[in-house]
Amino acid sequence: MTDKAADRVARFVDDLLHGRRPRRFTASREEAEAMTAAAGLVAGRVGADLPDKAALDRIHRRLSEALDESPVIDLRPTRRTWLRTLGTAAAAVVVGVALDEVASHESPAGPDGGGAPTVLMPDNGTWRPVAAVTQLPAGHAMPVSTGSVDAVVINDGANISAVSGICTHLGCKLQPDDAGRKLNCPCHQTSFAWSGKVLYYRLKTAPGTLPQIPVRVKDEQIELFVV
Amino acid sequence: MVGVTELPLAGPPEPAVARDPDTAEYPNWESVYQDNVVGIYQLVFRRVGNAADAEDLAEEVLMQTLKTLRLPAPIHNVRAYLVKTARTVMADHWRRHYAARDAALELERLPAGALVATPSGESADRARRLLGLLPDHFRRILELRFLRGYSVREAANEMGVTESNARVLQFRALRKAAELEQEVFA
Repeated sequence: MTDKAADRVARFVDDLLHGRRPRRFTASREEAEAMTAAAGLVAGRVGADLPDKAALDRIHRRLSEALDESPVIDLRPTRRTWLRTLGTAAAAVVVGVALDEVASHESPAGPDGGGAPTVLMPDNGTWRPVAAVTQLPAGHAMPVSTGSVDAVVINDGANISAVSGICTHLGCKLQPDDAGRKLNCPCHQTSFAWSGKVLYYRLKTAPGTLPQIPVRVKDEQIELFVV
Repeated sequence: MVGVTELPLAGPPEPAVARDPDTAEYPNWESVYQDNVVGIYQLVFRRVGNAADAEDLAEEVLMQTLKTLRLPAPIHNVRAYLVKTARTVMADHWRRHYAARDAALELERLPAGALVATPSGESADRARRLLGLLPDHFRRILELRFLRGYSVREAANEMGVTESNARVLQFRALRKAAELEQEVFA
């Protein structure tokens, strides 16, 4: 009896380790326990439990087909929204001025005329793996999260970089548009270049550039310096 | 920027932190998707162990939730509903494909705070800690299989046992791991 159960579980494990959808069978309680433990161990391989971009694209496409494709956003401004907007705009001005000052003294603007990029350098940050290099082919951007920081990692074909995945306007999560090599905000039609610079906005005040996040590749894993 | 040099240097840029889930709302399905798809996928993957099922189930969780949810809605309400739906969807998966009623019941007890996208290294830490708690021969077979990618035959050769014994050892080791997981990580 144990041998048969062990054989079935071994076959299940083989399927998982080869990245296959496991064959279905009637499992005893003991077998199901072993199988869920096996699933947890497979998830423990670094990067294994992160979806690849193609999977996210498929899920998004099927949801789009089934759900309303023109989401209704309540644009009536509440008092709180206005206060938040004004506060964010004021903060953006102060931060923008200060960084401009720093840039003019320490880091000349690049050839495209932009200022020094803002870098998110957290206190007590550590390098954390967020994806396997193989999950991010050239020409793609992928949203990742470390729990406290949402980012987008980008492979432009020459380099891997990372920027904040949160729109600097009101905090909506950015969606990669690989064809346009940009990141779109779903809330107010703002677009950012992969470098983090604002490409397009329909707001009274230009939103800030996306902060850069330090990134490196180690042991075939993309790692971010975050908390 | 002429005339503004007297301004004091501002503090660090605003951190890239998600909105406060206690007060903020999701305005539309796209925002629910963007904020939660990776967390749901991870939640499901840890219980099915393969990308094909994880993709199907994550999509099912989002689809069921978004078809019934009225938006805008507070973030914490949406997330609680997503976890509840994930429990049902995963329990159905185990019942339907493996007739595993008990595993399904376990999944229905998934904690409400389970839906938080975590760095992938966290699952690895958890697996390493779990392996560290196992008796030597159990740990050895699971390390060879899951960390080093050995086939049953290769693991059996390495350990000096028959293939059949290696399969039984793996089965018992996984059951022990499941038991420890319940005790230590519950």
